Amino acid sequence: MPPTVLIVDDHPSFRASARRMLEAGGYAVVGEAPDGASALAAVRELGPELVLLDIQLPDIDGFEVAERLSGNGGVPAIVLTSSRDSSDFGDAISASPARGFIPKSDLSGEAIAALIR
Amino acid sequence: MTSMRRVQIGLAVLAFVIGIGVLLVVINGEHNNHRGAYAALALGIGWGFTGTGLYVWRRRPGSNIGPLMTAVGFSGFLKALAFSNGSLLFTIGSLGEVLIYALLVHLLLSFPSGRLESRPDRLLVAISYINTTVVPLAAFVFTDPAKEGCANCPPNPLLIDHSQAATVIGAAQVDIAVALLGAVVAVLYRRWRSTPSQRGAFAPVLAVGSLTFVLLMAGLIVEQAGLSSNLADGLTLALFGSIACLPFAFLVGLLRSRFSQAEAISSLVGRLGGGRGRGALRDALAEALGDPTLELAYWVPAQDAYVDAGGQVVSVDPAPAGRTRTVVEHENRRIAAILHDAQLEEERDFVKAVGAAAALTLENERLDAELRAHVEELRASRTRIVEAGYSERRRIERNLHDGAQQRLMALTMNLRLAREKVDSDATATAELLDEALGELSEATSELRELARGIHPAVLSDRGLDAALNGLASRAPVEVEVTETPRGRLPGPVESATYFVVSEALTNVARYAGADQASVRVAQHNGAVEVEVRDDGVGGADPELGTGLRGLSDRVAALDGRLEVVSPAGEGTTVRASIPCG
Repeated sequence: MPPTVLIVDDHPSFRASARRMLEAGGYAVVGEAPDGASALAAVRELGPELVLLDIQLPDIDGFEVAERLSGNGGVPAIVLTSSRDSSDFGDAISASPARGFIPKSDLSGEAIAALIR
Repeated sequence: MTSMRRVQIGLAVLAFVIGIGVLLVVINGEHNNHRGAYAALALGIGWGFTGTGLYVWRRRPGSNIGPLMTAVGFSGFLKALAFSNGSLLFTIGSLGEVLIYALLVHLLLSFPSGRLESRPDRLLVAISYINTTVVPLAAFVFTDPAKEGCANCPPNPLLIDHSQAATVIGAAQVDIAVALLGAVVAVLYRRWRSTPSQRGAFAPVLAVGSLTFVLLMAGLIVEQAGLSSNLADGLTLALFGSIACLPFAFLVGLLRSRFSQAEAISSLVGRLGGGRGRGALRDALAEALGDPTLELAYWVPAQDAYVDAGGQVVSVDPAPAGRTRTVVEHENRRIAAILHDAQLEEERDFVKAVGAAAALTLENERLDAELRAHVEELRASRTRIVEAGYSERRRIERNLHDGAQQRLMALTMNLRLAREKVDSDATATAELLDEALGELSEATSELRELARGIHPAVLSDRGLDAALNGLASRAPVEVEVTETPRGRLPGPVESATYFVVSEALTNVARYAGADQASVRVAQHNGAVEVEVRDDGVGGADPELGTGLRGLSDRVAALDGRLEVVSPAGEGTTVRASIPCG
């Protein structure tokens, strides 16, 4: 069974590219969410194993979403992403319960696999 | 000689002649115990009031005080006719005997303006007139003087029947009079308390007037109670004496008011030469006019508004309740407005004189205030420009992040996937490359749009005409560019002009509901005049939206002005005038 993924990002073009990229990398994309609130609802409903989570969302940011999802023993695994560089976020990434951060420009199935292994 | 002057001289002659006649009537009166005293007092009251009344009438022709005083004088003669032995004169005198008191109430309550200012005042005066005309007539027809203990009095030709009705009506009249006089004295006292500026000048009139009414009240009470006739006679003589003093109290008040005003102005001029500092002029004017609540507002023509000493815009039109605005001019130019107690309205000439005496100093302070207002405006506009800079940078960052950057991210991923599939799946690779090309084209056009928003390259390269026509061609409504300057203008002027037109056309597209718009940019008299006009719904907020406010600051930074004319239903016109070498 391929690992299941939820993609959270407010840009439809990025979600479409990411879906294609992840499916080519052997993941099963079970859903997409455009903001923090619908991401939390989708996680409850779909129970994905992995959430690819954009940091800048129109309502609550990705750090806050990760914080709220973290109370369940590390399920799902969270990978943060952004079009910005990790240094733009100071130490917020290392302080978050996410498994790690991948810049959007470096996103690939292998990069995610390396983080959640 | 004016007709008014003829009337006044005629009245003076009439008063003199009537006075002599009255003197003869009183001296020959057979039913009078104090003939000498009454004769002197009748002349004192009659001539005193008519003389001073005519003088005041001449000095203040617009005021009712003079005519009212003259009327009091003639009613004083009327009163003395009650001492006549002849039946007709006796009747006229007896009926008109108390009219003088109603006229005095009218005079005192309308002092100093000559007008009855409030409804209670008018009510008190109306009751006074009724109580001194209709009521005595009602009593008189039931009064036979002989049966009232005046054996020497002539008969009453109006007598219907001597009855108790006269006593009842007379008692009611006295009760009404006593209550009325009490109310009048209270009103006069309150007025004296609330007129601080001229209190010294008004004091003699209000004091003697009040004393008169108190004596009259006391006399009525004594007479009503049937106490000793000596006391009643004494009070009556004192009352007449007091009335006879009243015209001179008016004269003293008038003179004191003139003196105190002259003194106030000379003291003001002395103070203006001395201490300076913000607030000193206001304090000096407040003292001169006796109004501690006085405020000054300085006229700033550039802003078409009044400002306070600190340069903040203040609203003086209309003046707040209880206040009056007096505008001060110097060499036919508006300088300032004095906001003062509405009671000083009575002394309008005095306020104007004080304003004129302080005009030069006011002009200096006005220049200070104008400078402060200018600095204040610059400070506010500088803050807005800095804030506009920050928000513009935020907007650009957001546009880049949400637009081109996202497309480039997607493009990167598609290219990476295409590379992976290039050997195994040519169809999928072609699809991915097509999609990547689409993203690239979108990203390029978004970057172009953004760059144009920061600075339009066509403006620097090819000038206003090309740049404005470019704006017109991209606008969603039909836009005609009717005129543009021939040569190139300084960079900042071209840039400001371009963005005024750009923002105005954006607003036309968003809000105006217009079918077409026109753009005209003309250069004459050393300025560039920009005009963008549409045929839309109009009614745009004259306070300007944030976009236009930012442009207004940008234009103001070049010493230009921006205005929006937008009557409802008649389209909107945005005009800017920018100085240009």
